[in-house]
Amino acid sequence: MASNPSAVTLKIEFGGGLELLFSNQRSHKVSLPATVPNDNTTAIPVPENEPTKPADVTYLIHYLRDHLLKERAELFVENGTVRPGILVLINDTDWELEGEGDYVVKDCDEIVFISTLHGG
Amino acid sequence: MSSCGNPATEQDALMTRRQKFDKSKTCVKCKEHQGHIVIRHAVYCKTCFFPLVSTRFRKVLGPTINPARSAAKAANVRGGRLRGRLEAPGSLLIGFSGGLGSTALLDLVAKSYFYRSSSASAPPPEAAEDNSSKGSEHPSNKSREDGESGGVWKGKPAVCYVEVASILPGARDRTEDVRAIVQSYCDPASKFEIDFIPLRLEDAFDKTWWKSVGGSDIDRAAKDLGINISNENLPINTRDSSSTPLESLHTYLSSLPTPTAVHSAISSLIRVLLIYTAASREASHLLLGSTLTSLSVNMISGIAQGAGFAMVSEGVEEVWKTKDQSIRIVRPLRDIGIKESAFWSYWSNLRIVGRERYPTTVSPVPNTGDESVKVASAMIKNQRLTSIDALTQDFIMGLEKDYPSTVSTIARTIAKVTTKEKSVEGGCVVCQRPAQPNVQQWKARISIRSYHDEAFVKSKHPLPPHFTAPPTLDEVEAPSTSPLPISTHELAPRLCYACHTTFTSRSSRGSATTDSVVLPLPEWVKASFHTNTGTSATVIGSDDEAGELQEEHWRKRQVTQSEMKEQIGEFLLDDTGPE
Repeated sequence: MASNPSAVTLKIEFGGGLELLFSNQRSHKVSLPATVPNDNTTAIPVPENEPTKPADVTYLIHYLRDHLLKERAELFVENGTVRPGILVLINDTDWELEGEGDYVVKDCDEIVFISTLHGG
Repeated sequence: MSSCGNPATEQDALMTRRQKFDKSKTCVKCKEHQGHIVIRHAVYCKTCFFPLVSTRFRKVLGPTINPARSAAKAANVRGGRLRGRLEAPGSLLIGFSGGLGSTALLDLVAKSYFYRSSSASAPPPEAAEDNSSKGSEHPSNKSREDGESGGVWKGKPAVCYVEVASILPGARDRTEDVRAIVQSYCDPASKFEIDFIPLRLEDAFDKTWWKSVGGSDIDRAAKDLGINISNENLPINTRDSSSTPLESLHTYLSSLPTPTAVHSAISSLIRVLLIYTAASREASHLLLGSTLTSLSVNMISGIAQGAGFAMVSEGVEEVWKTKDQSIRIVRPLRDIGIKESAFWSYWSNLRIVGRERYPTTVSPVPNTGDESVKVASAMIKNQRLTSIDALTQDFIMGLEKDYPSTVSTIARTIAKVTTKEKSVEGGCVVCQRPAQPNVQQWKARISIRSYHDEAFVKSKHPLPPHFTAPPTLDEVEAPSTSPLPISTHELAPRLCYACHTTFTSRSSRGSATTDSVVLPLPEWVKASFHTNTGTSATVIGSDDEAGELQEEHWRKRQVTQSEMKEQIGEFLLDDTGPE
């Protein structure tokens, strides 16, 4: 039986103006630990003797806020999840169909964040 | 976590999360494929998503294309099957803001009604099947034979974009990005073209633009006129007319009393710029990219600012009319949420230019150097929470996330409401929308207008923070420091409630200055000042011999009860009864 990888590599994409908050770059590659703290603290390496969970989209959001976001965190994150008006696609599918923040990320998943906050 | 005390439940049991979709993850339409998107609790796959959105789009736009022939047809604009050829009486103008709605709108219009061959953003194969299912008479099929626009609208279609970067310090000018997007829909092989008309917000104060759209001549005496907004009757005063359009725009927006007013004024200016541009091209249709979501935001914030009359009296059919022209302003995405627009744009690989959020404070002078950019940037940081529009948008976005069906209910409810009164002739001269009659009388009846009003004094309400003592009557009604007006005429009677409130609402923090402020006026307002009496237009009086203007003779003032009795005393019946 193959051993579980200790990290998952994800392709992240931003659209609808969100890229401005992330160094004006649409595509990013991030590597998350496969197991992360329950409380979504994003210090690397993961502290030992802490309750853990598999890395999920909620953790990814916290990770992006703490490590990639350059400014105005409140425009991306609110109450532990993405701000209302930001859509999330997991492998080209609405995250509402995949369990939203509870979706456990797998290696090579593609997560897209699109802001709809300036529509019309 | 506290318990509800019900012994029948498990201790520490958490309420199960409400599911975002009904039943299963299979597409509700084809019932075969796995779903890719949830739209108001219904699951759709990618294949079914495209025809769903384009059908909803055509269902809204289609019935408005041909001229309304009868009341029965007009009443059924949203339903029924269209029969016969689609033939608009004029050309087409699409208002483009750079946002998701506009981007999706342009793509939908091109795919549904015009030939489109841009390989840079080719539709997915599933979307192409949608067109081939139509008959040969369908405009999209006909257009492929002609190589021209679909034959539905006359002349060349056009996209109009209004750049607002000049009032946003540090903002990027996106005109060329938008031009590139419009260009991508042109097809040299079939000679299909879309015109691109770039405008700037300051064009509203530019006589060159006004002339270019065929605007009527502005009387010489009217060219220097502005309104004094420190007086709620908005008397028309002269002002220095040597400022550039950009300086006039900054003066106009920076002098408005509240952040909400700034946002509202910008939206209004853009709307009228688009209307006159459409009129200059003899357009019969002006399409705007407001989605269901942004429509709901606009409705709630509009009603909060007193624009409910215009919204409701227009209803679904919004028409701008002059004696020679009639332009239908249609929002074909009104049944399509912002989420669907975003998915359409993403799955169609459309480039999204984006748009800036309108500011709620504007500097009094145009930015010329870096220092002013820093100061203004600091102002912009705190703007999110200060306007009705920003608060409404945050509220509706939250609602859409948690209760998506309620957002569509807002728009549908507005469609069911009507007004008791008819609009005044000509509508509001500033926003060009229907205006209810007797706005000022209504305001006088419902509000406390002065700190010396009996009702205010009796209420013992605390004074606003900028007053340490009740102002004396002299302070409140101090003589204006501006030059003597050349006429006693006022703009207020020609405004709708919302525009009047935009100019005269009082912030609870008070204004920075009590000096009179004379605002420049947009060109179309100045053009409405005529020299002839007997029209509904404002008449201006002048001592200028060369002006040859006539003076207005009517002046309103409130009379006391004893004066009223004196006037009509001889007609009153004796209370003592017959002898």
